[in-house]
Amino acid sequence: MMGPGTAWYLGVAGFLFGVGALGVLIRRNPLIVLLSLEIMLNGGNLALIAFARHLNNGDGQIFALAVMAVAASEVVVGLGLIVALNRKRVPLDVDRLSSLRG
Amino acid sequence: MISGAWICLLSPLAAAGLITLAGERISRRGAGYVATLSCFVAFGGAIASFVGLLGRDGGHRAVVSTAWTWISGGSYHSGFEVLIDPLSVFMMLVVAGVGALIVAYSIGYMDGDDEERRYFAYMALFVFSMLLLVQGGNLLLLLAGWGMVGLSSYLLIGFWHERPSAIAAAKKAFIMNAIGDATMALALFLLIKKAGSVEFGILGGQYSSTVATLVALGLLGGAVAKSAQLPLQTWLPDAMEGPTPVSALIHAATMVTAGVYLIVRTHSIFEAAPHVADLAAGLGAGTLLVAGLIALVQVDIKRVIAYSTMSQIGYMFLGVGLGAYANGMFHLMTHAFFKALLFMAAGIVIHALADEQDIRKMGGLRQVMPRTYLAFLIGSLALVGIFPFAGFFSKDSILAAAMDRGAYGYVLWAAGLAGTFLTGLYTFRLLFLVFWGEPSPFVRERFHALNRDVVGLSLAVPVAILAALSVVGGWIQWAPLWHPIETWLQTVAEPTVTPKSWQEGVTSALALLFGLGGIYVAWIFYGARQRRPVPRFAFPQRVLEHKFYFDEVYDAVFYRPTVWAAKGFYRWFEEPVVDESSNSLGQDTRDLGRLVARAQTGLLRTYALAIASSVAVLAIVFVAVR
Repeated sequence: MMGPGTAWYLGVAGFLFGVGALGVLIRRNPLIVLLSLEIMLNGGNLALIAFARHLNNGDGQIFALAVMAVAASEVVVGLGLIVALNRKRVPLDVDRLSSLRG
Repeated sequence: MISGAWICLLSPLAAAGLITLAGERISRRGAGYVATLSCFVAFGGAIASFVGLLGRDGGHRAVVSTAWTWISGGSYHSGFEVLIDPLSVFMMLVVAGVGALIVAYSIGYMDGDDEERRYFAYMALFVFSMLLLVQGGNLLLLLAGWGMVGLSSYLLIGFWHERPSAIAAAKKAFIMNAIGDATMALALFLLIKKAGSVEFGILGGQYSSTVATLVALGLLGGAVAKSAQLPLQTWLPDAMEGPTPVSALIHAATMVTAGVYLIVRTHSIFEAAPHVADLAAGLGAGTLLVAGLIALVQVDIKRVIAYSTMSQIGYMFLGVGLGAYANGMFHLMTHAFFKALLFMAAGIVIHALADEQDIRKMGGLRQVMPRTYLAFLIGSLALVGIFPFAGFFSKDSILAAAMDRGAYGYVLWAAGLAGTFLTGLYTFRLLFLVFWGEPSPFVRERFHALNRDVVGLSLAVPVAILAALSVVGGWIQWAPLWHPIETWLQTVAEPTVTPKSWQEGVTSALALLFGLGGIYVAWIFYGARQRRPVPRFAFPQRVLEHKFYFDEVYDAVFYRPTVWAAKGFYRWFEEPVVDESSNSLGQDTRDLGRLVARAQTGLLRTYALAIASSVAVLAIVFVAVR
């Protein structure tokens, strides 16, 4: 097996996931939140592919492909929502979108 | 013969169904024709059954036709079956015959009512129920018919449902009848437990005297409630809130006599419990006196006739309680003729005066409606039992039978004779007040609505037929000379008393004398040109006007304690326990919800943090546990 060991890949994946999660938690612009979500998903994908390589089994790659498909659809919906919000002149700030407060 | 009986039973049901389902697709008048036709078909079926039975000799005159097994459980079976025997055919003829005439009369009487179709559907349903009652081949079917006549009676009393008094009367009748239905059902439970069957045949079996007494008491309870005898009589006068043909059909000619039929049908159990039979006769005697006295002070034309109905059914109870079954049934038949006639003539009067029923406002109607007067006169003479009208033959034979029963019989006999006097008095008080004298101002003012004597053929023909039957109907049986009804019913119910000829003679003479005496007294006070003022006795009059305080006593004994108990339970149990517990349950749930709702901040990032930290915790736990 060529290249760095699986642990390195997992390290990068965990870093990506962490950065994404941090972005989701601290950023208030929904566009950036969506971006951070994509980063989290890619972190997960990287982990899946790393494991697929580690175990010499193609299943992980198939999972990753499925995740990409889901991510693409999710972006479509998310961006659609953001565009709709913007059209209605709603401020693009997730903290102010709080009408579901109990 | 068998198909005749089934046609008789089912054609009114078919008419009721047809009128109900057709709705506005048939005219109001058409509904009346359908109901009338079905009743005449039923009468035809009854005649067919009668002819069929005539063709058989005495011992084989009981045919059971089973359509299907109705209820079956373990060793218990009960079929949907009709019994065709002399007694049921007798009742079929009376019910379908008089019923057909009264339904035909209704076409004219109810003309123009907004809900004629509903009326005729109910009438047909009633005739079916009554035929089911008399034709039912076992006690269970009899009870089914019993309940259904109660239902149709309820529906018809409350027919004018926009009147609160009619609704109250309907409920009263239903509840009073339900008491009787309940005691009857208890008697049937006991019979099923002891004999395992509800066929009529098992009534003749051997039972301990306690069982026989309890069963007979239960059946008597049903009979007393349905036939408005003491102490469950208070519903019948109120039932006059229904349309007049209903009063004629249900509350005079057929349904209220069902109790008499029941006692005759189940006579073997009453013979096994002689005290209960004596009680039935005593209740009949008591009722005929009480009702006759109350009728003296009533001022509503229909209520007077209603009390007279109670009184006459008292005679029938007296007869069948003593074991004079054929005489009781004979009086049932003649009573159906002349009482239906009286009600229908009264209906014409009420119609002519634009729905006025107060006899104090009437008077002098003889001059303006002579033919109705004639019909009413015939009915009254038959009711009092004046020779040669129908009541003479039937009522006197009941009283004669009482003489054959020792000391107790003589007490009942005396009560019956006193009742004859009262009958003459209240009947002719009514007749004189309504028809004699000069027309009152009220009559002059209201009567012009109706210039003819009788409104249309629909009203006139049934009244004429019943008037004819009230004249000749009694000649069917003249006790000592010929007695076809007794012979006819002999195979079903053998009489246990046989009055001697001298008893018949003495009773007839005395009853005639007492009846004429009553008429004479009524004439002195109400009919003569120089009337004496009616003597007034404050206390008895007050008692009679309050109908011996039966309603007041029931109110105090049953109604008020129930209301008090209900209010008490509401105040001390429902409010503090039931209401409070459910209220606080709701309140607590709401409080809890409010608490949990705080977690819903609406801030997306708190949700994300919660999810992330939860997953982190789960991951740590997962790793640690492994």
